[in-house]
Parts: sequence; structure tokens; C-alpha cells
Amino acid sequence: MNRYNYFNDNWLRNMKNDKFQSTNPSLFAPKEAFEKGNLFANLYSQYKDYKPAKLRADNERERMFLELSEIAFAAHELNLYLDVHPDDSSMTALFNDYRKKEMELTKQYEQKYGPLTVNSENSNTNEFSWVNGSWPWERDANV
Amino acid sequence: MFKYCKKLQYPINIKKKDLRMAKYLVTQYGGSNGELAAALRYLNQRFTMPDDIGKALLTDIGTEELAHVEMISTMIYQLMKDASIKEIEDAGLDTHYAEHAKALYPTDANGVPFTVTYFATTGDPLADISEDMAAEQKARAVYENLIDLTDDPDVIGPLLWLRQREIVHYSRFKDLFEYYEKKLKNGANEFKEMPASNNDYYMNNFLENPMNNFTNDTFLMNKMHLDNNEFFM
Repeated sequence: MNRYNYFNDNWLRNMKNDKFQSTNPSLFAPKEAFEKGNLFANLYSQYKDYKPAKLRADNERERMFLELSEIAFAAHELNLYLDVHPDDSSMTALFNDYRKKEMELTKQYEQKYGPLTVNSENSNTNEFSWVNGSWPWERDANV
Repeated sequence: MFKYCKKLQYPINIKKKDLRMAKYLVTQYGGSNGELAAALRYLNQRFTMPDDIGKALLTDIGTEELAHVEMISTMIYQLMKDASIKEIEDAGLDTHYAEHAKALYPTDANGVPFTVTYFATTGDPLADISEDMAAEQKARAVYENLIDLTDDPDVIGPLLWLRQREIVHYSRFKDLFEYYEKKLKNGANEFKEMPASNNDYYMNNFLENPMNNFTNDTFLMNKMHLDNNEFFM
């Protein structure tokens, strides 16, 4: 049986060394963080020899959607971090950078491909475009 | 309130139907360590967190768990969508089909329906956050079991990603746990200076005497209970 090797787990090792409290952990870039599901290099732990999936965009819509997802994820990771470390000003500044970029990319995406939230500026059309698919669980909605 | 965003937190695009995997995966929807239990656990516990830091973290992680419910549901939907009746029978999902056809229904991998007994809310922040840390570890372990059970990269990708989220959430809850624990050890005075605390009952009755807070707390809870009964009679 090829069981999970606890002794080679970086995350457990970090826990023992108490690196979780670090106020300035090194961060992955948004693209890599999104693929890994983790913005914080010191918290990342690989399962067995599995590598994160490579996400590929085949067209312009998918490219914009992927970029938006990456930035939104990085901002969300910093949000959770800042909830418990609200005095960390450099992380707050980075959060604001990502947040602004997320808003900008959302606007660009919605202008081309329709609203992601019902109160989006791009719902302001004669036809009520919010009801139009694809919905997120439909295969062609995703990258 | 909550607002819907027409977007998965991480893309799911499963091209190959797999009824067997759908049957296992459903446990992360409606099982004891699943995402639905996680979302409800945190969104319930957040009301009685002693300060803004705890309220913020449980709100934000609880909200992310709702996005994970959507991801797991999407995976089950895509794995089942194109299946024939024969395939449903062969995978042992005929009993599911009898009641729900191909609709989603939150159960564990054995078909036991979701129940709220999967999570607790004690009102004690250290007890509640310990439960949250354990829940994240258990969900991580279940994701690993599920990854072991498939070789479809379209399924493994999102499962690896969700597993990683359990690790990050565990770490944030651990930060919060240690922060509250330290405040308790340092005694009442430091607690009074905690930023933007506004839970008067907690401040006055629980934190004033950290050394004997349990007896005090129980006594006061009983007393409050009696007072309420008198009020209603």
C-alpha cells in the first residue's frame, strides 16, 4: 500500500517549527497560488507525488476568466490572513492591489461576456441578461 | 446577506462520466466531514465569537465553504449527467435514482442523509475553534482517500485543490485559537483591551476570572435560565 508519508510532509514540519505565526510569509504569485490552491509558500503541502493541475485557456473568454479567478483567489487568501492579522500593513497594501485588479478585471469581463453578479453595471440592458447561461456547473462555463 | 457570483471558485470540467466516483464524492457534500457541514458549522458559530477577529474569520471561511459546496455539487452533477439507467444500477445508485433521479441530494458515501448532528456550537470560542481545526483535518484526510480512489485527472485536480484549502483553513483557525488562548492566559485586563470587543456578557462573566470561569459561567448560565423561566411564567 502506497500510503501518505507523514514524515515527509512539509506542512506538518512547519507546524512543529511554528512557522504558522510568521508575519511575513513568502507568497506565490497569483497564477501559481491559484493552481496550487494556496497563496502561502510556507503552508503549501503536496499530497504524495501529485502535482497541481495545469489550467489552460483555449480562447479569449477563458483567458480573461482564468486571470480574474487567479486575482480573486489571491485577494481572498489575503482576506483570510488579514482577518487574523489585521495589523499587517504590507499585506493590507497587497490586498488592496489585488482587490483593485479584481474589480478592474471583473468589469472588463462583464463588458464582453455579461454580468457575474445581478447588480453588475452590465445588467443595465434592455434585455435581462442575468438569466442567460452558462451557469457555473455547466461544463462549457468553465475553463 | 449573501450575494451570488456566477462563477466557480476553481474550474470543474469533467469529461468522463463515473458513477462509482460520484457515489464516493457525495460524502464531501452531505457527509459528516463535508463542505455543507463546514459551511453551517462556521456560519453558526460566528455569532458568539468574542471579538471582531473571530467573527470576521468564521464569516469569511464559512462563506468560502459555500463555494466548495458548489464545487463538489458540480463534480457530482457532471459525473452523473450522461449515465444510463444500466450504469446507474451497476454503480449501486439505483436506490438514489428511485428517490431523486439524477438530482443532487446531500448524503454520505453510504447514502445516509445529511444531519445537523455533524457539527456543534458550544458558545465557547476555544471549544468551537478546536472543533473547526479538527473538521479541517478530517476533511483533508477524506480528500486524500478520495484522490486514492480515482485516476481521472479532471477529478484529481479539483480534489487536490480543495485538500489544499483545508490546510490553509486549518492554519487560520490555529492562528485564531492561539490568539484567544494567549489572551486567556494573560488574564482579564488584556482581554478588556481586545480590539472592538462588544460581547458584554462574555467580557463580564467569562473573562473577568479566567481561572475559575467554568464554575462561574455555569452558575450564571443556570441563573439566567431560571430568570428567563420566571419571566415567562
